[in-house]
Amino acid sequence: MGRIQLHDIRKSFGAVDVLKGIDLTIDEGELVVFVGPSGCGKSTLLRMIAGLDKPTAGRVEIDGADVTARSAADRGLAMVFQSYALYPHMTVRANMAFGLQNTRMPKAEIDSRIAEAARMLEIEPLLDRRPGQLSGGQRQRVAIGRAIVRRPTAFLLDEPLSNLDAELRVSMRAELSALHDRLGATMIHVTHDQVEAMTMADRIVVLRAGKVEQVDTPLNLFNRPANLFVAGFIGAPGMNLWAGQARDGSVHLDNGALLPLPVGLHVPDGAVTLGIRPQHLRPQTGGPLRAKVRLIEALGPESVVHADLGAEHGLLAVLPGQPDLARGAVLDLGYDPQSVHVFGADGQRLG
Amino acid sequence: MSRAIGFLTRRKGGTGWDWTDVFTFVWLGAAVIIMFGPAFWLVMSSFKSPAQLSEFPPTLLPYEAQAVVVEGYDRPLPLFSVTDDAGTRTLAEVRRVGTVAQMVDPENPGEVQRINIANRTPVRKVGFSWDNYLDPFLRFDFLTYTKNSIFVTVVATLITLLTNSMAAFALSKYEFRGRGFVVVLIIATLMIPLSVILVPLYSIVSGVGLINSLWGVILPTVATPTGVFLLRQYMLTIPDELLEAARMDHASEWQIYWRIVLPLTAPALAVLAIFSVVWRWNDFLWPLIVLSRQEVYTLQVGLNAYAGELNVQWHYLLAMTVITMIPVVLVFIFLQRFITAGIAGTGLK
Repeated sequence: MGRIQLHDIRKSFGAVDVLKGIDLTIDEGELVVFVGPSGCGKSTLLRMIAGLDKPTAGRVEIDGADVTARSAADRGLAMVFQSYALYPHMTVRANMAFGLQNTRMPKAEIDSRIAEAARMLEIEPLLDRRPGQLSGGQRQRVAIGRAIVRRPTAFLLDEPLSNLDAELRVSMRAELSALHDRLGATMIHVTHDQVEAMTMADRIVVLRAGKVEQVDTPLNLFNRPANLFVAGFIGAPGMNLWAGQARDGSVHLDNGALLPLPVGLHVPDGAVTLGIRPQHLRPQTGGPLRAKVRLIEALGPESVVHADLGAEHGLLAVLPGQPDLARGAVLDLGYDPQSVHVFGADGQRLG
Repeated sequence: MSRAIGFLTRRKGGTGWDWTDVFTFVWLGAAVIIMFGPAFWLVMSSFKSPAQLSEFPPTLLPYEAQAVVVEGYDRPLPLFSVTDDAGTRTLAEVRRVGTVAQMVDPENPGEVQRINIANRTPVRKVGFSWDNYLDPFLRFDFLTYTKNSIFVTVVATLITLLTNSMAAFALSKYEFRGRGFVVVLIIATLMIPLSVILVPLYSIVSGVGLINSLWGVILPTVATPTGVFLLRQYMLTIPDELLEAARMDHASEWQIYWRIVLPLTAPALAVLAIFSVVWRWNDFLWPLIVLSRQEVYTLQVGLNAYAGELNVQWHYLLAMTVITMIPVVLVFIFLQRFITAGIAGTGLK
């Protein structure tokens, strides 16, 4: 139970195509995160799965059954909304019971389910309060509790953590992951926060402008981004991407720097984009990159160095510890050629 | 109490009287008299007897002439204070002939005195003629009128709330072609006064046989454009996510309306209910047209019966006017916070 398949989902609002043909299979028990910049269609896609919006074309299947024409209520899914959407005039208990009462479930069963969910989420003392009397984190738990008591085939979470403060977000993130492990249910989580995506997901779906850019595990996305967009989107601070010319196993940048490529990677001569994560750059006397320091953000355990690489290229490096650098200093940097990403002129990964 | 006094004697800074203090208190005092003077005058006059109402100069408070039972006379005799050559004393009038009255001393009923009526004034003290209030209810049909008025007000308000909120729900929460046009059309009917559609409305009500029926008063105006607009504006502020959450929760559209939207619209419903109650209770023109039999009169129409062409029974008219004011005043006293909150909430002025 809980296998969701999307076949060529398309959605247009008037002349605007929001989703441009999405194929995706979400396996049972998987926690999949949809991530992408705002306006990429991730929430729209989630609403299609939920049944709150109908796709212009394409098919949604749950456990092999075509549910495209079914209403939201009949899909057996539960959703947690960004604003939590708790009914403000009902107590927490009534909020959680509402969906069960609508299916004419016996009262004893409703009570036991609510008690179980409340114990799991530690909201037992709050059951007789109203949403207005709860803090943000408590409301979040109630919203999740309302989804849990339904015992849905899959949970749909629409940016559930974005209204929480930073500290609470971290702890709720861990709780959601733990909940997923305990329930073993399929979860689809929409977020624009890549840290959330990286830490929680079994698989991440990166979306841009209504298209799937890459679907993979978090570490694969980080280590082997399929294209320039994913490379720039995943990882913080963002990957250094420099345009240059590939020739004889090296990349020549406009400013004359000659950057070696991994041994064994065959790159055809021509225009390429070379990517190196800031974490992979190390100070190295006589290294291939010579940069002038513009700004240093000392975070304690590491320092983020903003530097200029010639006239038009910027450079970001995350150096361990607290290096003794001043603005304007000239820094020589090197890297392990194996950690380099190369993208062709069409933006796709080479090798 | 001390706080109230402190509030009433509050002055602009310092301890002395500034001219603005004087001006403010004079201004506010005048406003109080202008606002409450007529109402107070009405209430006081409603307790006066017909004779006293026609008296000039009028008195503010209602007075009752004093009477006393004197030995040897069947009826109680009215008391007068007499001042003449023999001094000042209180006598009871036996009968009056021209300018001379035959009077007796209640202490000494045997001796009849002749007194010029210029030398006497009636002995009166403040007293209320409750009969002004009791008679219409006990001897006339005002109890029926009151029941009719309450029926019309309550039933019409309930139906108004139900129909208007359903229309507002559809117009605020469903996207359909022509929604904006329908809203504009409904609001446009605000520009048509009742008097314009009075005749066609009458023929419809008469055609369906609702003349002289309270339903003929209730039904034609249950759907009000103001109500639909007010509720719609309020419902627009209810987040759509709540409805979507309810849809995910297996709620039917009716349940969404009844269990989610309606409770959340309570402040706006309260405002509409207040407006509807006040309007229905005070409504005169339409009931007057539809109702022509005494048994189905509402209070306002019944009140009209006291204002005859030749003779106005002011004492009953005033007393019943006070009665008809009471529900409206109560509504405003207890529910005014809903009115201000509700109107502020809907962005309606």
